[in-house]
Order: sequence, then C-alpha cells, then structure tokens
Amino acid sequence: MTTQLDYDVIVVGAGCAGPAAAKKCAELGLKTLLVEKSSEPGGKNVSGTCLNMAALGDTDLHYIMKCPIEREIHSMRTYQISDDRMTVFNEMPKSGILLLSIRRDEFDKWHTEQARKAGAEVRLGIAVVDIIEENDVVQGVVLESGEQLRSHVVIDGGGVNSIVGRKASLIPKRSGQNMILYLTAAVYLGEEVINERFRDEQGGYCIEYYLAPGIQHKTWPWIFPKKDTVTLGTGGYMTKDLINNEFPNVQQYMQNFMDLPIVKKKLAGGRVESWGLHLEFDGKIAQKTKSGLILTGEAGGFVIPFLGEGMPEAFFTGIYAAKTAAECIQKNDISQATLSEIYEEFIQENLFMQGFMYVGEENKKSILSKTDEEIVEIMQSVVMGGGFITNVVHTKWLRGVENDSLEDIEDAQTFLEFIQPYRQVSTDYLEIYREMRAQAKLEEISTKGDEI
Amino acid sequence: MPADVTFHYYEGERGEFIQVIEERCIGCGQCAKFCTTGVWEKIDKIYKPIHLKKCAECGACWNVCDADAIIFGEPRGGTGVKFTHG
Repeated sequence: MTTQLDYDVIVVGAGCAGPAAAKKCAELGLKTLLVEKSSEPGGKNVSGTCLNMAALGDTDLHYIMKCPIEREIHSMRTYQISDDRMTVFNEMPKSGILLLSIRRDEFDKWHTEQARKAGAEVRLGIAVVDIIEENDVVQGVVLESGEQLRSHVVIDGGGVNSIVGRKASLIPKRSGQNMILYLTAAVYLGEEVINERFRDEQGGYCIEYYLAPGIQHKTWPWIFPKKDTVTLGTGGYMTKDLINNEFPNVQQYMQNFMDLPIVKKKLAGGRVESWGLHLEFDGKIAQKTKSGLILTGEAGGFVIPFLGEGMPEAFFTGIYAAKTAAECIQKNDISQATLSEIYEEFIQENLFMQGFMYVGEENKKSILSKTDEEIVEIMQSVVMGGGFITNVVHTKWLRGVENDSLEDIEDAQTFLEFIQPYRQVSTDYLEIYREMRAQAKLEEISTKGDEI
Repeated sequence: MPADVTFHYYEGERGEFIQVIEERCIGCGQCAKFCTTGVWEKIDKIYKPIHLKKCAECGACWNVCDADAIIFGEPRGGTGVKFTHG
C-alpha cells in the first residue's frame, strides 16, 4: 500500500537554512512546506548578525544581497586590553565591503517571504515534535497538534538543538569543548551615535572584537553595529570551568565586558533593548543524512563559531539539501547512501565552506589547549599577522620547520594559495552587490504599487 | 550598564516543555549550573525546572545532563522566548 504524500519536501525551521532550502525546493518545482515553531520567523534566533561578502559572491547566494540591511561594514578592529595597556589593531581592506550587518528578526522574515513567493507553503507558530519513521526511513513529521504530515524528504533546518535531528538519533548531547554558550545584548544608541563611535579611518563602519581578562572563556567578545543598535556578545566553551565561583553565570562575563572602560565609553547613554541566549556547536555531526532526511545549517553542524561563521554555511547547505532532494525524488531513490553521496559532493565543491572549516579547525586546535594568558599572546600574533587565516599558515609552516616535515610546509603553501581569493574583497562582488540593491529597490517599488 | 538579563516572551501558555524523568535524575546539578536564567531548583534530592517561565530555550540543561533525565521539547503554539534585534 502506498500512503498518500502531503508534500514532496517538508522543511523544518525558518532560520537561515530553512527558507533557503524551501525557496530552492519550490523553484525546482517541488511541493514544499516550510514549518516554523515561532509565531514569527526569526523570533527564536539571536546569532549570526553579519553576512560575509566573500560568501555572498557565490552565485547561489546573490539573492541574499537584496535582504534588509542594517549597515555595510568595511573593517574590523580588535582591542586587546591588559592591566597596563590597550593595543588596538585595525584590519582594513583597501576598498570594498567586508560584511553586511543585519537583524535576524527582520532578515528571517524577509527570507521566509522569499520562500513563500517562490511557491513554498509556510506555516508559523506550530512546532514539529516528532518524525514519522518506518523501516528506518523518515517519512514525515508530527506537529504539536498531533497532525501527521508525510513527504518524500524532510529537510531539517531546526538549529542546534533540532528536535528532528534528535529524534532521528543524529544529533547527540554535546557540551565541553564542543559547545559554546553565549549571551547577546542589543543596545540602543541611535543612528548618529553609532555613526560616530563605530567609524573607521576611511569613513566606513567597523565591527569590533575585544580581548581582555575576565570577559570571555576562550572565545572572542564582539560588538557589531546595526542601524540604531549595537549587538554585544560573549560567553564561552561549556567546559566545567566556564562556571565557577568567580563566574557564577555567563552574565558575569557580559558584565565585565560592559564594564571595560573603553566599552563603557562606547555604550554611554545607551539602553539594552533585548537580550539573547544561544548555544553554538563547534564540532562535526557524524552523519548528516538518513533515508528521507537531510540535516542542514546548525542542525547539521555546519557552523564555525570560532570564526563567527554560520549563516553562509546554512544558506549553502539549505540550497544543497534542496538540490539533493530534487535529484533523489526524480530518481525515486531517497536512501541514505544516495542522499549522502549527492549532498556531500555539493559541499565538497564549495571552496568557501571547505576553506573556512579548515581555518576554524586549525585555529581551534591552537586555542583550546592553552590558558587564557597564552591565548591573549597567541591572539596578539594572530592579529598582528593578519588574522586567523595567517595563523593557520604560520602554525603549519612553523610546525613543519620544527619537525622537519616537508609535508606540513607544503600543506601550508597549498592552503595559502587556495585561500587567496577569500583574503581580498573583490570588486566583482561590489558590482553584483550594487545590481542586487538596485533590483531590491525596484521590487520594493513594484510591491508598493501593487498595494495601491 | 548592568547585565541584568531579562527576556521577552510571546503571549500564551507555553506548556511543560521541559520535564524531568524523576527516577533518572541523580541530583548532580549540572542543569542548574549551566542554566543562565535560574530555571532549576533542588527539591529533596533531585532538580526540577520550577521557574520554567524564565527559560530562554537554549538547551544547555539537556545537553549537560549525563543521566538523560531531561525531556527538552518546544513551547506550545509559537509561544516562548522572543528575541529581537539579534
């Protein structure tokens, strides 16, 4: 007996991966449902507030450049503070836009709307509580109402603690050196004040990172400027010493961060509009597919918290999951082996993801084994050496020299050549960006025209 | 600026979306240790999510519970924590 299917694909979660997947599924002609537990897309999301232009340069992600943007970010500033001095490093490309800062509540709404416009059905405010699994094949999902929905493929974009991934036994419990717990605070300062306090020497705007004792646990506290608010974030790896007598909770790290004299000055006159709390997984999910199921974004472990990277990985994997689903449904083969083969091939071909995953892993290796004092020292050389990418090259190279290993040296050389395109902000991206912004404006005008 | 963390919530009854399987809880208190909002309280020998209304749904408690004593579900009908400006 064949059971009647409700959809070709059910996508769970309207974060970064879900709408990208649902949009692509609909564009590929699949009958698609996007289901989100929150009443509004983005209502449960705090993280990922700057889009990396190097990733948006990928053809698959050009449309993202049309999203509601808070600010164009041109440079990065790092404050390294010890008891007796403060050192400030500026990393500034000669030209171009490094990042786009966004608000997740606005962005996720826009993105979900793109999926709906492409033809996906969207249901909000209803949680998926279980999967339907028969003979080791995922057949659909169970909603909190008890309603059962069946599809050829389920795409899980449910985030770090996704119920779908957990019910399918693909997402395990994680803590220690693989999980980061962090708090965010959105502080209202007003547009004019932010223009003044977060401007770089070339007249652009910059994001800021801070390194100081007592403001983090092996991570990088940050301040990201939006239009009229700035977002602060800090926390740390969930090892047993994240919480202790001196730091009874992560609020204490945030308090110390906010109390740094330079940060106090930056936030003077401001008020906290909203707090956020989030877990981020810094490791790999062993198996990202099951027959009838594909994990994407944070649910699939596609996030590099160490580099603050996660949104592009979620967009990419969402889109690749959609393409994989379409191909497998066409072939009438949604087995784990086939889904996995096609999905992994897309991921392997993405140089941005491969490069950044490598950088994240190598840097994490060199950080986690060190004490806070040693980390500050490393960070100094990292920042002075031009960032995390250089750190990977340097450490590999030095290891090679120390151990007399030509392999390590060659590895460093190969990686340096490979990563070159991502060290610069190409002007090609800028042309595409301008074109996309112009298109977004036109679409906005035509939508308003329709309303009239 | 005081880091007195408070969260916004959608209106509506959230339901018991975090529960403890009492016979499994060994009272180690990891859930309470890693909870940022003070949801957990020790009652007799085990921990219970007494102040569930303060929960921000991060899932730290579920992740650190080695005894597998925590059921971590979803708030009902689109309710629960509401993040803005993120």
